[in-house]
Amino acid sequence: MPEIDFFHFFRLGVGWIATIYATLTTIQSLYGWYVYLSSGDRYTSLMRRYLLVQAVRLRFRAFAGDLLVCLLLCILFLIIWRAHYPIWQIESIWRDVQRTAQAD
Amino acid sequence: MSSEPPKPTEAPSRPGAAPMVVPADLPRDELEHLVEEFGLDPGAFKTRQHLVAALQERKALIAAMDREAMLDVVRWGRRPVPVNSTKEQLALEIARIKSMRFEGLSPRGLCVLAQMRGIRLNGRESPEAIRRMLLRQEGFFARFARRRRAFVGKLIAGLLGEAESEGEYQFLPPQQSPPGAAPTPPARPASIAEDIEESGLLGGLASRVKKSADVYLNQKLDEIEQRIDRKLDEIDRRLAEWRDKEIANRIRIIKITLWASVVVAAISLLYSYIKVYFASR
Repeated sequence: MPEIDFFHFFRLGVGWIATIYATLTTIQSLYGWYVYLSSGDRYTSLMRRYLLVQAVRLRFRAFAGDLLVCLLLCILFLIIWRAHYPIWQIESIWRDVQRTAQAD
Repeated sequence: MSSEPPKPTEAPSRPGAAPMVVPADLPRDELEHLVEEFGLDPGAFKTRQHLVAALQERKALIAAMDREAMLDVVRWGRRPVPVNSTKEQLALEIARIKSMRFEGLSPRGLCVLAQMRGIRLNGRESPEAIRRMLLRQEGFFARFARRRRAFVGKLIAGLLGEAESEGEYQFLPPQQSPPGAAPTPPARPASIAEDIEESGLLGGLASRVKKSADVYLNQKLDEIEQRIDRKLDEIDRRLAEWRDKEIANRIRIIKITLWASVVVAAISLLYSYIKVYFASR
């Protein structure tokens, strides 16, 4: 009988669903903007230039702190994610040892 | 309707004169108006060919004139022209000057003015002689009418209490438009007495009212332009603020999501550790 860990099941389920949902929503939004901005009329051309100007005039220093925090959180997340593997390896080895001991 | 441009005909030319091109289908009244603008009397020319010839002759005369002398006349007549005007533009403005007060006009300017008013000079006349010729050319009745207008002008200026003082002449800013286009004449800073002397009582008063209206209108247009500029700046500033707030909001949402992910990952790690630790006991 397969051993099911409900906590990991819930975590992975939520992770996959949230990731797929966020990816689809982002792609949908980007495609909508692409369709809108690729139109050739005068007003859309004006809008394209305006957005470009706004992007150029954006002051990154105002958001630098928040961006740094986001970057550090991403690194922390990766480290914690990688830290799971040694624990799972230990668990797996321990089960193997137990199984071998029972067989002997 | 033909898409081809009208074929120009070359007017009969004088030897040594620059050829003047007049559109073949230019109506006679427009041709007369053109001749009048160049300071000629269209009634003195019977046929179309005569008009074209007179125009050509006048253009050749203008081409031979000294530009600095023409600028002297423009300064004296206080005509609004850019300093980089062509000779033709200067000549058009000189042709509009009707003043007979020659004080302050340089001898070379006097020569140009006399030539533009149709007096033939041989170059040896003294300024006084040119002045006399100009006055003689005006005629008795025209002089009488001018003096009457001058009197009325002085009377009106006295009634209105207008001072005679005039500022120093200034050229308009250099023009950007292609050469040949006539400059837009703004208000000319002349006294009301001079206006009435040149254009008559009603004409002078109308000109003065028009000038005042122009000045008022220009002032109001400037104010409106400034207000529009201020509004546009305000809109731009608010949009920039809105953009910054929007981006800050998005980054905050990403940060919250990342925090939630890290917390769940940490709980998961702790759970895995506890599970392995208790399983090993």
